[in-house]
Amino acid sequence: MWAIVKKELKSYFFSPVGYVFIGTFLFISSIFFYIFLFSSGSVQFSNLFYYTAELLTFTIALLTMGMFAGERKNGTETLLFTSSRSITGIVIGKFLAGVCVLLITEVISLIYYIILCSFAGGLTNQAETITVLFGFLLLGMTYISIGGFLSSLTENQIIAGVATIVTLLATWFLPNLWSAFSMLSPVSLFQKFPQGMISISDTVRIIIYNTIIYIAYNNCITEKKESKVRG
Amino acid sequence: MIKVENVTKKYGSHVAVNNISFTIEDGEIVGFLGPNGAGKTTTMNMLTGFIESSSGEIEINGYDVSKKAKKAKKEIGYMPETTPLYNELTPKEFINYMAELKGVSKKERKEEVQRILKEVNIEDVQNKLIRNLSRGYRQRVSLASALVGNPKVLILDEPTVGLDPKQVVQIRNLIKSLGKDHTVILSSHILSEISQICEKVIIINKGNLIAVDTPENLENKVKDENSLLVTIEENNGKVEEIAKKINNLKAINLIKKLPDGTKQYSITSKNNADIRKEIFEVFAKNGITIFELKKSEATLEEAFINLIDEKPKKEEKGGKK
Repeated sequence: MWAIVKKELKSYFFSPVGYVFIGTFLFISSIFFYIFLFSSGSVQFSNLFYYTAELLTFTIALLTMGMFAGERKNGTETLLFTSSRSITGIVIGKFLAGVCVLLITEVISLIYYIILCSFAGGLTNQAETITVLFGFLLLGMTYISIGGFLSSLTENQIIAGVATIVTLLATWFLPNLWSAFSMLSPVSLFQKFPQGMISISDTVRIIIYNTIIYIAYNNCITEKKESKVRG
Repeated sequence: MIKVENVTKKYGSHVAVNNISFTIEDGEIVGFLGPNGAGKTTTMNMLTGFIESSSGEIEINGYDVSKKAKKAKKEIGYMPETTPLYNELTPKEFINYMAELKGVSKKERKEEVQRILKEVNIEDVQNKLIRNLSRGYRQRVSLASALVGNPKVLILDEPTVGLDPKQVVQIRNLIKSLGKDHTVILSSHILSEISQICEKVIIINKGNLIAVDTPENLENKVKDENSLLVTIEENNGKVEEIAKKINNLKAINLIKKLPDGTKQYSITSKNNADIRKEIFEVFAKNGITIFELKKSEATLEEAFINLIDEKPKKEEKGGKK
């Protein structure tokens, strides 16, 4: 599994999808930071994440679209599935590599917090900062799961990417149409974290969410493997 | 040992591989032949556990491919036809990654990688990106990935496609030497290659197993008559008449007129008698000069084409009944 994490990270930063993801994310975050916090004199770091959560909807596809679609297109999935690694290990490895890139982004985004602290003359809103970073990680993990899952359904990265963005946008807007959907929307589950609260029920729900998608992943990959390849 | 028993693979209603069974002993080099779409790659994919069979059992060195997948996969090194590689890695990184995937321990990994790079002769490009390598080198990197972890069984799908003649000879020799302590299954379209390297040939067509035999036996099946090829020079057109003076002659047929004015005939004898000496004497007496006299040899190619053509005919007959 770790072999896969290492190799995926190498690929992310060589290709250089990883840099593009981090760069785009931080660039647009900086604009949000300037408009919503800096110029309005707010020191509430966690508020920034209401906006970056939206941003993540569009950028996460960069990380996930090639996860399985790329391997399938290249034929390199043969290498993975004929090695003695289990499908579970492969799926978790790829998932964790995506999470690592997300973590790197989060750590870099702490710069904004440091800037705010320097203006406030000391640490501010530590609790909210910690909970929001935790919540954002959970949100990102769910997005990576959804994106990776969609990537395992096709061999075309663009289709995988577009499908991911559309699906994630749908999770934003569906709760507005019917409130029951808010139970299913990762973004709704994220809402309390920036306020300094770790809601156990929301956390559990997000984790269950991830598990279900993960199982779907596994099945899809195995099914695909079955119905493909003729010669 | 590889045991394949009554294996079938269906895609919906399409039968890609139909109830095939064969056994491959340890240390054998086996050639896998068949026209395009015959089910070669499907069979190879099933052997490696990449796809599951619809029914039947596959055992690799005692491990069932579907039940003990992990152990069975460790016994196999697979080089797919499409030579899939990670373009963003160097050969060294790639082989190292494959070694990690195959569970080679950290201690042995470095040595293992160097051994393999040397074995397939890609040391000089080990630090270049794979995306910048030529076809021949990519082919060798792919072969190298099959050797990782020193598996007992090597499954090579078209290993010499796209190589230059010198490299082809190198890879063939490499496969031969690997055959000493590995079981090797390779598919190829180059029949001379198969007859050179392989001790056994498996021929499949349209998903059906047609023959499992040594190349020699397959060739012998085709040449059922003791036929000779004779190139002669004569101008009076009486060859056929003269040839009748030879005892045990069954038939003489003109094959072609060569540009230098000579003619090539095929001569067959009755009861497989050796009539070479007589041909010489009779022709010489009658003023015919012999330029060349040789036994016509059936090639694996003829055997292959015969077998492939035979099968559908039988099926047609069966269908009409």
